[in-house]
Amino acid sequence: MTTTDHNPDRKADVLIIGAGASGAATAASLSEAGFDVVCIEQGHWQDSFNYPTAQPDWELRSMSSWSINPNKRRLPEDYPTNVEDSAVDPVMFNGVGGSTIMWVAHTPRLHPSDFRVKSQDGIADDWPISYEDLEPWYDLNDHVMGCAGISGDPANPPRSERPMPPIPIGRDGELIAGAFDRLGWHWWPSDNYINSTRYGEGRDACNFCGHNMMGCYQRAKASTDLTYWPRAIDQGAELVTGARVRKITLDTTGRATGVNYLDAEGNDKHRSARAVVMAANGIGTPRLLLMSQSSKNPNGLANSSGLVGKNLMFHVFGGASGIFPDHEDPWVGPVANIILSQEFYETDRSRGFLRGYTFQMTRGQGPGAIARGVAGHRTPWGEDHHPVIKRRFRNTLGLGAIGDDLPEEHNSVTLDSHMTDSSGLPAPKINYRVSGNSRALLDHAVAKGTELLKEAGATEILVNPQSRETGWHLLGTARMGDDPERSVVDRNGQAHDVDNLFIVDGSVFVTGGGVNPTPTIQAIALRTADYITNERKDLKT
Amino acid sequence: MSLGIDSILLTAALDRVIPPVDDFPGAGEMGLSGEVINRCGADFRFSEAIRVVVDLLPAANDFMKLDGEAQDEALRAVELSHPDSFGLWLDVIYTIYYMQPEVHVRLNWHGRSPQPDGNSMPPWDDSVLNVVRARDPFWRKT
Repeated sequence: MTTTDHNPDRKADVLIIGAGASGAATAASLSEAGFDVVCIEQGHWQDSFNYPTAQPDWELRSMSSWSINPNKRRLPEDYPTNVEDSAVDPVMFNGVGGSTIMWVAHTPRLHPSDFRVKSQDGIADDWPISYEDLEPWYDLNDHVMGCAGISGDPANPPRSERPMPPIPIGRDGELIAGAFDRLGWHWWPSDNYINSTRYGEGRDACNFCGHNMMGCYQRAKASTDLTYWPRAIDQGAELVTGARVRKITLDTTGRATGVNYLDAEGNDKHRSARAVVMAANGIGTPRLLLMSQSSKNPNGLANSSGLVGKNLMFHVFGGASGIFPDHEDPWVGPVANIILSQEFYETDRSRGFLRGYTFQMTRGQGPGAIARGVAGHRTPWGEDHHPVIKRRFRNTLGLGAIGDDLPEEHNSVTLDSHMTDSSGLPAPKINYRVSGNSRALLDHAVAKGTELLKEAGATEILVNPQSRETGWHLLGTARMGDDPERSVVDRNGQAHDVDNLFIVDGSVFVTGGGVNPTPTIQAIALRTADYITNERKDLKT
Repeated sequence: MSLGIDSILLTAALDRVIPPVDDFPGAGEMGLSGEVINRCGADFRFSEAIRVVVDLLPAANDFMKLDGEAQDEALRAVELSHPDSFGLWLDVIYTIYYMQPEVHVRLNWHGRSPQPDGNSMPPWDDSVLNVVRARDPFWRKT
């Protein structure tokens, strides 16, 4: 479904680029405060009843039209990425809801130490804000998206009660949790934006279908098309879909005046606004800032620091999977957000690396996915095929490690000189190397994951030293900071160079932490929206 | 969409990739070559992969004259020379094979898509936290 721009001549107060996790939260907050909000989204609305998990060929669709990887999906609303020089493939979804359509909805928070990496460990940089600064908006977001979880985790600071009880961990979760207990290692039930009870408008409890990545037919998994967008639209926000922004426009003083975009029919349009908010993710946002270069801004918009597109962080992923012949009911319940362990999250220099990682337990998957590979190991063809499938299918559990991925300027997003999207606009070129620190971190995680799975009773263990198609978390490419020479936006998300341009997506992260970032991204977006509401009344008609 | 793929050759290759087991036929004998060709025709990456693999195999008549071991050798040669295309071709074959209801029966698995039926959510059991709750907080303060 495409929503056309019905008010092309009306000057909005705030124009938001991108209708995903952060854009939706910003739209709901600003429209509630009375701002005239318009959002431009290159993708479309999704119909949950058409999600592929209710179709017999769902596993094949996960490889093509519903792949997490836009280079494989190749929908018109996607843009390709040149990954020739990247050790990780970026993955994302373009549509109303953004990548919250295609996520597992695992929602841990950053730790207080993640905001003070320079002070505590002497590397990277500190954030200009603290965990405590962000906490009220974490709490607000948990209630809007709907968080299922439980208090008392000794690895994290005390926090307010979640609105729903935790998702039960199941018999397989108990198997892995028991091994953590015997080793004396931390574990805790995952915080999830998945309903453990009915919660939110028209949203039922999870029915433990066993595969929660490709949209949620049950609408139990939160996505912003179900949570923030209905509120925002009720409050008067306008959402234009199937429209691709190609440039942020400026007046002669260098302030943003709106955007040029291509509508669903490919017509070149302009939409005026008093302020522009970028919510296009850690690749789409620097791409658009670089595409917005001009004679006054030859290196791209808001780029006097030269840091637009630099310091790309994905998080590094690796881990191990175990075969449990006596355990035959994996693949019932959420696939990758059952329990987590943060035993190795905080820095311990004796481990040979700085910072740390979170373990996430993973369940088995459908037979097609198991055949395609467990921990990256494809099932052999030929005579060995059937015995290997017999061992692996329904008997596989895993531990994935998500590692703190520290910022390095050579890891970057630039504009590719040849590759373009379906509109002829330059595709992003990704340069990304796994650092020595990350390599040591992953080696530690693989060894500890193997130890845990053996303790749990695995008879065969397959390890994955580093996954490639795991660039879900697009961070760091327009970092926040107090120093305009070392950052792109200030602590409120306002560009140092353009006082009516804001960034609210993962681009503004200074460091990445070792957890899934969406609650932090949304908390930052809500905080920036409150700043605009309270401190930038000049942007409101 | 035919893609110009020789279905006789593909059928023989499928039987080597996923061979018969017990009294169950191989993927080729099951008649999956048509579905493999059709599904590949709907995706640019899949169609490229199948073209690369089939073009590099001996012609159908020659392949059929080989014994099983020699057919495997021919497949292994393609796997070595073009691992990405061969791997994607395998992934497509595997996925289509494991979409078949008769294969689900052999696996003694219900074979349903994840939705709409889903499964039952078990009750939350707070006692699972007894050990870890006893641990002192250890997050790093700032």
